[in-house]
Amino acid sequence: MTHFLTMSEPPPQTGADLLRIVRINEEIKRVVGVSLKINIMALNAIFLAKRAGTAARGFAVLSNEFRNFSQDLRSSMAVLTGVVYGCVNEVSVMLQDLRFTRLLQEAGRQAPQAALAGILERREEKSAGHRENLAKLRGQLKRAFEEAFQMVELGGVLAKSAKIEAAYGQGFALPLAQVSGEFDQIVEEIRASLEALRRSAFFSGN
Amino acid sequence: MKTTKTIFQDGSHKWVAIVRDPQKPHHLIDTNEYLVTHGGRGLLLDPGGAEIFPAVFSALATEFDPSALAGIFASHQDPDICSSLALWLEFNPQMHCYVSWLWSSFIPHFGGTVETFVQIPDPGLNIALEGLLLQAVPAHYLHSSGNFNLYDKTAKLLFSGDVGAALLPAGEEALFVEDFDRHIRHAEAFHRRWMGSNDAKRRWCERISQLEIDMLCPQHGAIYQGADVQRFINWFDELQVGIVGL
Ligand SMILES: [Fe+2]
Ligand SMILES: [Fe+2]
Repeated sequence: MTHFLTMSEPPPQTGADLLRIVRINEEIKRVVGVSLKINIMALNAIFLAKRAGTAARGFAVLSNEFRNFSQDLRSSMAVLTGVVYGCVNEVSVMLQDLRFTRLLQEAGRQAPQAALAGILERREEKSAGHRENLAKLRGQLKRAFEEAFQMVELGGVLAKSAKIEAAYGQGFALPLAQVSGEFDQIVEEIRASLEALRRSAFFSGN
Repeated sequence: MKTTKTIFQDGSHKWVAIVRDPQKPHHLIDTNEYLVTHGGRGLLLDPGGAEIFPAVFSALATEFDPSALAGIFASHQDPDICSSLALWLEFNPQMHCYVSWLWSSFIPHFGGTVETFVQIPDPGLNIALEGLLLQAVPAHYLHSSGNFNLYDKTAKLLFSGDVGAALLPAGEEALFVEDFDRHIRHAEAFHRRWMGSNDAKRRWCERISQLEIDMLCPQHGAIYQGADVQRFINWFDELQVGIVGL
C-alpha cells in the first residue's frame, strides 16, 4: 500500500508562525552555506594575489577582509539560529496552550464551574507572558537581521573595491577581475536572502 | 455531552459510567470512562483522550465535584486512555496517576510532573480510596505489554480496560450487553487483532475466574453483567488471538 504525501492547507496564525520560522531557518542555513563558499573563494583570492605579487597587494588585503566577512556572517547567523530556536519553543508552547485552552473553555461552556474560570484566567496570564516573550524574540530577530544586513553592505563595498583593485593587477588583472566579479555576485546572493527574511510575514504578522 | 449512569451504589461508594456522546466526531473511537467514589473522593478510570475532555468533564461534573478527584487510573498508555491527563491535572495539580511502571516515563509526554505518577509493579497494587480497597490486577499483553484492570471487591466490579471491548454499530449501543451472542460478534475482530498473546490471555482468564464479579466493565462497548461475565471469560479463553488477517 502506498500513501501519497500531499501539502495540506496553510495553518492559522500561530501554526503559520511555526511555518514562517521554519522558512526563516532554511534561509539562515542558505546564508551559512553561501558564507562558507565565500571563505573558500577568499582563500583562493589570497593565493592568486600572492602570485600576482606587489601589484595585487591591495587585492590581497581585501581578500583577507572577505575571509573576516565570511566569519562574521557565520557568527551572526549562529546568533540568529539561537533566537529562532527560542521562537520555536515559544510558538510550540503557544500552540499547545491554544488547544488546551479551547478544550477547557469548551468544558466550561458545557459545565460552568467557578474553578474553571480561575484556571482559564491563570492560563490567560501565562499565555500573555508567552506572547510577550515571542514579541521580544521577534524584535531580537529583526535587529539581528538588520545587523547582518549592514554587514552585507560592507561586503558589497569590499566587492566593489576588489573590482577596482583588480584593474591594477597588471598581468593578473583578468583573473582578479573575474574573482572580484564572483565576490560581487555572491554578496548579492546573500543580500537577496536577507531581503527575503526581512519581508517575512513573521515580522509583519500577516 | 456524555451521559452518566450509576452502575453501583452503596452510600458514598459509587461506580458511575460516563458513556456515549452523540456529538462525538466519528473519527474518534468511542470510549467509556468510569468514576469510582468513596467517602467524598473519586478515582477516574481511563479518563480518555484530550479531544473528549469537555464531554467527559461536563458529564462528570453533573455527578461529582471534579476538584474532589484524588487520582486517575490509567490501564495502559494509549492516547484514548489518558491523553487528557494534562487537562485533568490543570484542574487538580495534586492528583496522582496510577500506571504500569512500564509506561511511567512515556505517559508524562501527555502531561504531569514526577510527583504525579505512581508506578504499578507487574504483580499489581492495592489502591486505597478513603478506606475503600481497589486492586490493580495484571492484564499484561491484553493488549498493552504493561496493562492493568481494576477490581473492586466490595462492589464486585471489574474495570477491564480494552479486554471485553466491542466496536458497536449505530443502533446497538446499549450500555449493558443484552444478547451475548449478538454482542460478541462486535468484539471478536477487536480481540483477535488487538490482543497479542494467547498465553497471557489464558493466564488472565484463570486469574479473573477466581474473582467474584457482577459486572465486567470495558473501556469500549457494553458492560457484561451476571452470567454474561463468565460467558465472556469462556469465550475469550477459547478465542485464538494475535492474528492479523493478511
Ligand atoms: Fe488500548
Ligand atoms: Fe482502548
